[in-house]
Amino acid sequence: MVAVLVEDVSRAFGDVLAVNRISLKVERGEFVTLLGPSGCGKTTTLRMVAGLEQNTGGRISIGERVVSDPAAGIFVPPDHRQLGMVFQSYAIWPHMTVFDNVAYPLRIRRRPKAEIRERVMAALRLVEMEKFAERPAPALSGGQQQRVAIARALVFEPQVLLLDEPLSNLDARLRTQMGDEFRALQKRLGITSLYVTHDQEEAMALSDRVVVMQGGRILQIGAPEEIYQRPASRAVAAFFGSPNLLDARVTGCESEADGRFHLTVEGKGWQGHARAGERFEVGAPVLVLVRPENIQIGTQAAINGAQMAWSGRIATAIFRGPRTSVAIDTGGPRLNVEAPALLNARVGDEVRVAVPPGGAWAIRPEAGN
Amino acid sequence: MAVVAQADVSGESDVAARRAAGLPRGLAGLLSGTALGRRLGMTALFLFLAFLTLYPLAMLLYGSLHSTPPGMAGEFNLDGYREILTHENIIILVNTIGLSLAKTVPSIGLAVLLAWICARTDTPARGTLEVLITLPFFIPPILTAMAWGMLGNKQVGVINMAWQWITGSTSSPINIYSYGGIVWHMMQYSTPFLFLFIVDAFRAMDPSLEESSRMCGASRWATFRRITVLLMLPAIVSSFMLSLIRGIESFESPLFFGTPAGITVITTEIYNAINHRATPAYQYATALSFAILALMFLLVIWQWHLLRGRTFTTVTGKGYAPNITRLGRWRWVTFGFCILFFIVTVVLPVGQLAVGSVFRFFGFYSYDMLTLEHYVAVFQNTDVWRAARNTMLLGLMGASATMVLGGIVAYVTVRTRWRGRRLIDALAWLPWMMPGMVLGVGFLWAFAMLPGPIPIYGTIWALLLAYMALGTPIAVRVMSSAYHQLSFDLEECSRVHGASWWQTLWRILIALAWPSFAVGWVLTFFGIMRELSASILLYSVGSEVLSVALLKLWANGQAEQVSVIGLMMMLLVVFFRWVQIKVIKARISTL
Repeated sequence: MVAVLVEDVSRAFGDVLAVNRISLKVERGEFVTLLGPSGCGKTTTLRMVAGLEQNTGGRISIGERVVSDPAAGIFVPPDHRQLGMVFQSYAIWPHMTVFDNVAYPLRIRRRPKAEIRERVMAALRLVEMEKFAERPAPALSGGQQQRVAIARALVFEPQVLLLDEPLSNLDARLRTQMGDEFRALQKRLGITSLYVTHDQEEAMALSDRVVVMQGGRILQIGAPEEIYQRPASRAVAAFFGSPNLLDARVTGCESEADGRFHLTVEGKGWQGHARAGERFEVGAPVLVLVRPENIQIGTQAAINGAQMAWSGRIATAIFRGPRTSVAIDTGGPRLNVEAPALLNARVGDEVRVAVPPGGAWAIRPEAGN
Repeated sequence: MAVVAQADVSGESDVAARRAAGLPRGLAGLLSGTALGRRLGMTALFLFLAFLTLYPLAMLLYGSLHSTPPGMAGEFNLDGYREILTHENIIILVNTIGLSLAKTVPSIGLAVLLAWICARTDTPARGTLEVLITLPFFIPPILTAMAWGMLGNKQVGVINMAWQWITGSTSSPINIYSYGGIVWHMMQYSTPFLFLFIVDAFRAMDPSLEESSRMCGASRWATFRRITVLLMLPAIVSSFMLSLIRGIESFESPLFFGTPAGITVITTEIYNAINHRATPAYQYATALSFAILALMFLLVIWQWHLLRGRTFTTVTGKGYAPNITRLGRWRWVTFGFCILFFIVTVVLPVGQLAVGSVFRFFGFYSYDMLTLEHYVAVFQNTDVWRAARNTMLLGLMGASATMVLGGIVAYVTVRTRWRGRRLIDALAWLPWMMPGMVLGVGFLWAFAMLPGPIPIYGTIWALLLAYMALGTPIAVRVMSSAYHQLSFDLEECSRVHGASWWQTLWRILIALAWPSFAVGWVLTFFGIMRELSASILLYSVGSEVLSVALLKLWANGQAEQVSVIGLMMMLLVVFFRWVQIKVIKARISTL
């Protein structure tokens, strides 16, 4: 069942198209994340679903109801959309207590006092804030404010929960913890969530599906692993980390059982195998994506015989704690490698590197440029 | 968010596009269903503001060209302006600007010193000192003027008598009725006024700016000279200009200390031309008013020019813990200095009023002269009661109406993108550069020229409208800074969670902005209570206010009764100031 349906929606500010004809479907109970750099239109999209911004083209439906369709003259104001929202600043009203903040949506809906009390306490229990009910709102830490904002957004059981970068104001450790907690809560209650973030790790850890946006358009929609391991374009690939993108030429192409393709490719001084989501002609140029953590590093003997391998010299090595980032000059491409921290790499060392089977993914060079 | 910011830069086309889309950013834009109501509301707001500001301004121009008093048939000529161009008026102009400069320069120095002591040193009881130093600002100047008239009187003033008693000489070194007296009295108001601006600038400065200078090897003094002072320069320059303008508008000081000594400034010249000539010279006074308005306009333009590109953003919303200089034993010297300022500006004049109220005759202080007869006389004086009632009524109504108007104007200009909001803002700001005396003359014409069925002229409503016009710029400033502090998220969050526009306005915006409203209300109330220059032109029998009644009593030589009323007003000032400080404290703890 579809909870949010965005059809061909655009938003223009003067001549600037902040959102350019995007379409998106969120199933009931699903957690969908809009991911992209700042200015990509993800927040504008969320605000259009909320009704805080009006789309200039297309149609938005929540549940069965069309809430915005400028062509048909339909615009349902935000207060009639039955949504919950968590703002980046949390927007905890400073003149109220925690209880009053969470009770606000129920009081606005004129629910009986006893019911308000019960549901507010239940919501606060969900986020483990029931002890703070009578606290004045300004006397809360960032993490606590975030919990209150979530409780407030959930208290009247909204059709959809909207979240606008809710974790970006927290420090790194708390961010991970709150994110995991929220994901567990979301799964348990089956809340349909539309989430906006610019942090790719957050997006992958939380979401059922990720919508990658850039320049007001959707680049790709898919499960986190798919977006990460099998990007549709160079832009999507480059959005996560600093991948190795190797120029190559197709020397063979076979279909596989799962509908994808198995390519044999040849680059400057190397050759190997890569998988692809589409059919390539023999001789066609191709970009081979190899994630830095998928490259193995070792001595000459250990790697010899691997099908996609290079010899090279370590140009830089940066120890990062859990791992070591190494750049290797191979004479051909320069490779970024995320090596285990135990690797005793010194600049200037001769090493041999290889990509294991399944570690390479091929995309069209022009796509996404 | 970046998209929104980017679109903001593109300016008018962006606004137009948003309007076409029918949904600008922000809460108010969500009123998409009531476009007609919004347009009607904006028109009504515009008309009312225009009546308060543009209309008297236009009437000023009309009156300056009109040969007869308001409401009489006459012809149009340039006689008024021809009359301005005399040698006497050059002296008056030089007096006006010279006196204002003469009080502004030492006031700035004093204010910077006091602000530094209160904000950046470890002087004891700084919080209390700050309240004491700013207290004179809230006392109606007419009260201290009268008190200093008694303190500094050449024959029977307490200061001269004390001098003669101590030294045994018969000379009187102090004469308050002089250039020095005017400057002295004006300084008592401009110093706390400047202090309020400068202490905030001192406090809002990011201490890391100074710390990084120290880390670069600059000494404490070099840092103060090269970093602190230069960062403060925009605040100092803008408060200097404000103080200069206030000095030119000043009426009480030159009226009380200049007129007896034959020193005339522009405001007193306008006043004399209307009230103290055999036939009131309306055309001349109006032409003079228009001329002073032009002068103000030039000063304001100059101020903008000076400040262009110099508004350093050292002021942020953050509460910094400023660098504190440890003074050691010297902190008692600075403490004493602040107390001395308080004694001179508050204790001396208030003490004089208290003493003056209980002796039979002003200047004759002995036990057998002690009496309560003046209190009895004042409480039996129906004119005084009526004036007190009028002042209270005007204060309550005027402060409430002005703040509501200011709240609406600020909402329209800060929280919406409605068409015409800049015009509304400009209209509401216009009285900022109009001296009370000039606005009074403008309203004199404006009310007299109203068609018959609208009888405002000579009633209490005339004063109310004038007070509203004078108070609106401050009301708008207070309310817009309150709205600026509230993020749009707070409103939008309320909308998404089911509250309508009106519910959000009431439960979120007003609920959060009311402490500022209260603070602004008290400020406006003080403003009305102390107002003299517009009142003196617009009152008529039955609608006198306290300041006018005081002036009349003073003119009749009843300094003793003046002291009684002054003391009562002082109590009121202290009470309201106390309430205001309580409210500010409460607000700081909740926001």
